Amino acid sequence: MAEAKHQKPKAAPAGDEGHSDHGDHGDYITHDTSIKSWLLSVDHKRIGIMYGITTALAFLVAGVFALLVRAELFMPGETIMTADTYNQMFSLHGIIMVFGFIIPAIPGFLGNFLLPIQLGAKDVAFPRLNLTSYYFYLIGVILIVVAMVVGSVDTGWTFYTPYSARTGPAVLFLTMAVFIAGFASIFTGLNFIVTIHKMRAPGLTWNRLPLFVWSIYATSIVQVLATPVLGITVLLLFLERLMGIGIFDPALGGDPILFQHFFWFYSHPAVYIMILPGFGIISELIGTFSRQRIFGYTAIALSSVAIAMLGFLVWGHHMFVSGQSAISSIIFSLITYLIGIPSGIKIFNWIATMYKGSVSFKTPMLYALSFLVLFTIGGVTGIMVGVLAVDIHLHDTYYVVGHFHYVMMGGTVIALLGGLHYWWPKITGRMYNERLAQIAAGLIFVGFNLTFFSQLVLGTRGMPRRYYDYIDEYTFLHQLSTVGSWVLGMGLFLVLGYMLVSMFRGEKASANPWHAATLEWTHTGRRPSPHNFHRTPLVTHGPYDYYLAGEVFGDGVGNGSPVGDTAPSEEARSH
Amino acid sequence: MANPTATATTHDASASQHHPPHLKHYFVSSEQQFDAAKLGMWLFLITEILLFSGMFVAYTVYRVWYPEVFTIGATELNPWLGGLNTLVLLGSSLTVALAIHAAQTDKRRTLVRYLVITVLLAGVFMVVKYFEYTHKFHLGIFPGAAFSYAEMSQPYVPIFFSIYFVMTGIHGVHVLIGMGVLSWLAWRAHKGHFGSEYYTPVELTGLYWHLVDIIWIFLFPLLYLI
Amino acid sequence: MKAQHGHHVTPKKTLIKVFAVLVVLTIVTALTAQLDLGGLDVPLALAIASTKAGLVVLFFMALKYDNKVNALVFALGVTFVAIFLTFTLFDTAFRGDLGNVGSETISDIERRESMLRDRAAGVPESTEGTASDPSIEGGEE
Repeated sequence: MAEAKHQKPKAAPAGDEGHSDHGDHGDYITHDTSIKSWLLSVDHKRIGIMYGITTALAFLVAGVFALLVRAELFMPGETIMTADTYNQMFSLHGIIMVFGFIIPAIPGFLGNFLLPIQLGAKDVAFPRLNLTSYYFYLIGVILIVVAMVVGSVDTGWTFYTPYSARTGPAVLFLTMAVFIAGFASIFTGLNFIVTIHKMRAPGLTWNRLPLFVWSIYATSIVQVLATPVLGITVLLLFLERLMGIGIFDPALGGDPILFQHFFWFYSHPAVYIMILPGFGIISELIGTFSRQRIFGYTAIALSSVAIAMLGFLVWGHHMFVSGQSAISSIIFSLITYLIGIPSGIKIFNWIATMYKGSVSFKTPMLYALSFLVLFTIGGVTGIMVGVLAVDIHLHDTYYVVGHFHYVMMGGTVIALLGGLHYWWPKITGRMYNERLAQIAAGLIFVGFNLTFFSQLVLGTRGMPRRYYDYIDEYTFLHQLSTVGSWVLGMGLFLVLGYMLVSMFRGEKASANPWHAATLEWTHTGRRPSPHNFHRTPLVTHGPYDYYLAGEVFGDGVGNGSPVGDTAPSEEARSH
Repeated sequence: MANPTATATTHDASASQHHPPHLKHYFVSSEQQFDAAKLGMWLFLITEILLFSGMFVAYTVYRVWYPEVFTIGATELNPWLGGLNTLVLLGSSLTVALAIHAAQTDKRRTLVRYLVITVLLAGVFMVVKYFEYTHKFHLGIFPGAAFSYAEMSQPYVPIFFSIYFVMTGIHGVHVLIGMGVLSWLAWRAHKGHFGSEYYTPVELTGLYWHLVDIIWIFLFPLLYLI
Repeated sequence: MKAQHGHHVTPKKTLIKVFAVLVVLTIVTALTAQLDLGGLDVPLALAIASTKAGLVVLFFMALKYDNKVNALVFALGVTFVAIFLTFTLFDTAFRGDLGNVGSETISDIERRESMLRDRAAGVPESTEGTASDPSIEGGEE
């Protein structure tokens, strides 16, 4: 899918000067095209794109690992790889997907690109810190690759002790990678919180913030509060391996379950770092493509913050069968149910937004609708595994694998794909092929459900996760899942293909092809200029007042100038 | 809604007229830049608090499980040295606060002096720490598996010392980082970079330094006294 | 007192007074630690440490005079440390709280009940034999 993004810089031929940026030296891509101007850029848009490229590569690599894991599971017994290779494959799939892709993807890519523009600011509050964050993330990814070369990455992405304190030396590199990538995450979150608090344009009050900004705000709070605990956890694990400090090692008197508490104090909130930005994207998409003011704006905005806070109180539901005390299991289980409330509020408000709206089924909207279906399944299965007694049966089975893929992939990745299509014209200045995009969206939806619904069924029948081999009666469902993964992969590679083509051949987009009402559409050109705006915008209406956006700004005139692209966008929209 | 134009120029004009050298172009005013930096620093400080919280949680959990081990372990720590270090750090907190005061009131030479004193006090802290550590290594008190102090052969005592070494070790790293930053600031202050107009780095480093002090305020009684 | 930009300037006198109180509190905590106060030792030391930390935060870090949002951030950080600690203790302080539950499984109970029912129907006087069976009493500590 998003692998396409790494071509973006090249996508702007030198002669492709946007007329949107009159009187300047081109837009944010064309004003300086040297490699150095990219690698050392403190422009939030370019950093966003660098994040996009790197996370997309991580997604590609980890996705290929997933396809290989599924291929191995096509038949019982050894199919294409040894058990040891298999252990490393699924571990690397998890580690790279979590730390290399899904945590940084939306905040790092779309968040960086859009947040300052949506706030009417020239840049984030600390641009150099922003660039530092990218390089910390990059070092983290490189260290994961080093660990891969060192070998024996077979702990799964959770690094549970005492196994992780005993297995091969790769754990040392992985803990370092996670520690450093954690700083990247903290810096991004910190930067965004300060930016949202201090850099809003005049008139942009808290209740006029786009919901994407609200969701990034909630995400950033979690990043700042939770990530340091991951830092100390992996640091202690590192020291455990290096000098056997014994805090997590039962052989030295330590407690391995304490490691799980430490780990999940970060990693459960981290699940909300992954999904909350997706919520934000979906709010934007559903508003724009229903041409309705978002129903229950305040409820959606505050439910993001509520999820961020509640998300800290439920980590123990990963540990129901770990041997933790029964009283803590009961408390964690009860609070887990509560998470369903703010999530439900969002789903109902999105559906209410579509009610009596003029819904247009463009590709981004198709992804938004897929999201509603898939995330609801993911959420409901999540409540089920939050039930103490049920979890005893389902813990560590494919049911849990299916559940979190419905949330993470069916939620976050689908939202990211929707957002990628939605903001593609703003980022590259070109449109993609709508028909191919719709076919790809369909393939992804069907492939996804084939892959993971069969896993839900497998799980209820007792197939344990992470196993290399299985008994014959699971064969059919495993094969269904593997075939599904091929369909899913086809859909994603199709996205990669037409996105690459669109960067060179795509029709030029107008400044506001979707007639949206947030600042990145109404107040910038076809592609934003290096400092986003020539004059600080004055915000006089809400982010979803489409009737105002349409009447007042027409097709998006770019910086309030009459010289902008004022041609009717019909050809862009019909494409 | 009557005039929803995109051409509002509320802040730009004033910003371009009065543009002090420290003001970054993407900020509207010095005030906005200062507030942003300070909020950013406070956010960074809570990440530090949560980083240390992991150690405090480990401490509490093991103390609840094995209270006697903590009493035994603490007898090997010298409360006089710990108390001395507490006073030294409190003193350095005072001098850094006075340094900020000097910056705010444009007393540049006083600013440099206080910053240098702060670095020196931090140095005293580290020297005391060095003697504490070497004394323990001499006795065979090492973190974790390498622990070989014959007089404390009770089970779980090594865990106490692991916690001690990790907590004071991470704290010590923070002191070293603080010394580096404070020295750099002293140099910049000597060059005349700071005054009442602009002293954000001094203020932020001061906040950091106070936090390092606060961590020690908790470490001292938890490890040395009780 | 205000600096050029309206920043609060904490007077020197206040800073030195706060420092003096901090020194006194350090001495107090060192002395009280020598006494044997039984269960009060730990809470007292923590209370003194918290007071000292509070003074540093309010005056040296000037949070008392600062933007409310900075105070909110700080409060948020402390709250989440408390959450981390409390919820972890929910486990570690009560670890093994299911250890005193009988080892009898549901199918054991069903088997016993059906046995009792059979006996009630057939030979009523032999029920005491089952009661002395240790596997039914449970009570594994």
